[in-house]
Amino acid sequence: MIGLQHYLVLSAALFSLGILGLLTRRNAVNVLMAIELILNAANVNLVAFSRYATGNLGGQLFGVFVIVVAASEVAVALAIVLTLYRLRRTPNLDEADILKG
Amino acid sequence: MEELQRSLALFEPETVLAAGLLLVVVVDSIGAAWRNAAMRLLTLASLALALGLAFNLQASGAKAAIFSGMLVVDPLGAAFKVVLVAAGLLTVLAFTFRNSRELHGLGQGELMALVLALVLSSLLLAAANDMVMLYLALEMVSITSYVMVAYLKGDRMSNEASLKYVLFGAASTGTMLYGLSLLYGMTGTTSLPGVQEFLAGGVPEANRFAVYAVTLLVLAGFGFKIAAVPFHFWCPDVYQGAPTPVTALLSVLPKAAGLAIVLRFFYGTFSTPGTGPWDLAGSINWGALLMVVSVLTMTVGNVAALTQTNMKRLLAYSSIAHAGYLLMGVVALSDNGARGLLVYLAAYVFMNLGAFLVVTLVHLHDGSFDLRDYPGLYRRAPLLTLAMAFFLLSLVGIPPFIGFLGKLYVFAAVIDKGMGVYAVIAAANAAIAAYYYFRVLKVMTIDAGNEDKPPLKLAFADQAWLAAFALANLVPIFFWSGIESWARGALVLYAGR
Amino acid sequence: MTPEAVVFWAFAIVTVGSAAVVVLSRTLIYSAFALLFTFFGVAGLYVLLGADFLAATQLLIYVGGILVLLLFGVMLTHKIYDLDLRTETTQLASGLIVAAGLFVILAATALRTQWMSVPRTPAPTTEEIGRLFLGQYLLPFEAASVLLLVALLGAAMIVRRRRDA
Repeated sequence: MIGLQHYLVLSAALFSLGILGLLTRRNAVNVLMAIELILNAANVNLVAFSRYATGNLGGQLFGVFVIVVAASEVAVALAIVLTLYRLRRTPNLDEADILKG
Repeated sequence: MEELQRSLALFEPETVLAAGLLLVVVVDSIGAAWRNAAMRLLTLASLALALGLAFNLQASGAKAAIFSGMLVVDPLGAAFKVVLVAAGLLTVLAFTFRNSRELHGLGQGELMALVLALVLSSLLLAAANDMVMLYLALEMVSITSYVMVAYLKGDRMSNEASLKYVLFGAASTGTMLYGLSLLYGMTGTTSLPGVQEFLAGGVPEANRFAVYAVTLLVLAGFGFKIAAVPFHFWCPDVYQGAPTPVTALLSVLPKAAGLAIVLRFFYGTFSTPGTGPWDLAGSINWGALLMVVSVLTMTVGNVAALTQTNMKRLLAYSSIAHAGYLLMGVVALSDNGARGLLVYLAAYVFMNLGAFLVVTLVHLHDGSFDLRDYPGLYRRAPLLTLAMAFFLLSLVGIPPFIGFLGKLYVFAAVIDKGMGVYAVIAAANAAIAAYYYFRVLKVMTIDAGNEDKPPLKLAFADQAWLAAFALANLVPIFFWSGIESWARGALVLYAGR
Repeated sequence: MTPEAVVFWAFAIVTVGSAAVVVLSRTLIYSAFALLFTFFGVAGLYVLLGADFLAATQLLIYVGGILVLLLFGVMLTHKIYDLDLRTETTQLASGLIVAAGLFVILAATALRTQWMSVPRTPAPTTEEIGRLFLGQYLLPFEAASVLLLVALLGAAMIVRRRRDA
């Protein structure tokens, strides 16, 4: 019988893996992926509680908002990563602009 | 429907800011030449109107939970709102695109919109009454900050700083979210007053560890927002990499909003209703935990600042240390503590904005943030040096400056509760901090150097703002009774659905 | 084993397994594709938990939006650091210890704690979530739209070429 504990242990595993990625990865995009694991772990918690523990949909609703926030965060983070990449590839910013037309 | 109308009536400052935000975005899309002036005017008007409405709200003494319990309105919250909006307004007034060398030539509309969004989300955070609203508002403040820090997109250090900020912030708030999810599972509700009722009913032995875990996880997110140890690592780099006006804003707004929600969260969920707001539910001693965080924060901040030569990094560590002092108001767990927090925050706004204004102006004229380029400023810019002296003395906490008033309140609150050792440690920290504040002053006034550089010609507006901030640091103590009655009137916390 | 258990374990292994690949793989692109499987796995778990709307949202936004963005990020910046070398053993080892310790603590907490026990029979959720969005959770709903506006403006502004006022 699958119960609440199964899901909670699963989300604990996801969370721990996310923290592992956070601590050991050096590439920014990889760290971002680890953060998404953390957010998904929390979401699994919320939905599992909604189903087994609390009887209301607050958890699921919270989950929708988390997804919205995650999307915004990733958009901003990747915009910054992209700009950083552009700056590093050529040290001279004016040159980079000319090359791109 | 009536509930909605009732809620909107108590939601006026936020509504004005939201409307201002949308208007600025619309005006920015018009290509006309006057749009920069129009947007600045719109922003200032929205902030000024919101400030007036927040004052009104505090004076009216309204106490209610609005929007189906998502937000809570009470005099303490309204007082925080006044401080938050005032900080935003002062920053936009004093720091312009003309007196900040870093912002020269950058698009103005986005920054104005972002400032409004930051103030709006800070107001939502300070009043959050539900986990969903709390998380959403926290992330709104964070994401707006990330974008503002990344504003200097041509500058490599700025980009690296903003990337570090995003990753650190997303990880911290993700961890907090995990904690909130556990709290939801334990209590069955996302409403913070609901959590309070549940916890007050008694925490079974088996759940005690989970509550501790939740507290630690949630502190990750809050600690990140107020730059408390061990979640402060992003602070110096971000303060250094962001354009200085943005740094000035970030040193005040997210910190104040974060402290407001820390006060409210721990009051709202971990206290016993009915017996007075400050009694801990069960035997979860989170007060001790916060005390440890506070001591670590002020110590790490002060010790690290001792060796800094970059003014922005120095002020970053200084603000980390101040977060430690501010937490004293929360740890004191009393009316005095809340009052101390409020007064210290108000003082902190004036001290910090003044100091950052000086740093911006020196950078504008000399192009440097390095303390080693500061000698001779006494001769070259006497008004600026005098103002900086006021700000530094205020930051140390010397009477009659406003910083002293803030420290007095929080120290009194802590001593009142019998936490003598804590107060002594904090006092020692303040003494350590005096070293680096006085060192800046010494470099500016006594050190020899830069004799060949011409005097600084400050614009009239800049001089006026320096004088205004300097007076704001000096004069309030003569109106102590006014401050006292304002703070006392604000001491009504409402924790209800 | 009941069908429910079979499905659960299948999705669980996919999710956790690919999450491990995300975090431990040497190659960035393998991590990105493993993340795809993680998201799918989580969506499957949502369906199992009776969260049909959330599962669809997960697929649409996480897989269709966030993962695509991440893939763009990977493709466009794959030379910013060299191929992700496995970090020195010491760093990985201490990271593993921390993560393992964290897992043990969290799992133990999850198993020991008495959670609420008001189950909810799975039923279509979309209508009720819609009602909640426009009812109790109206303010977060509206605030989220401001958040999205700010994120949109911000990301566009950051990436845009210098062509300022």
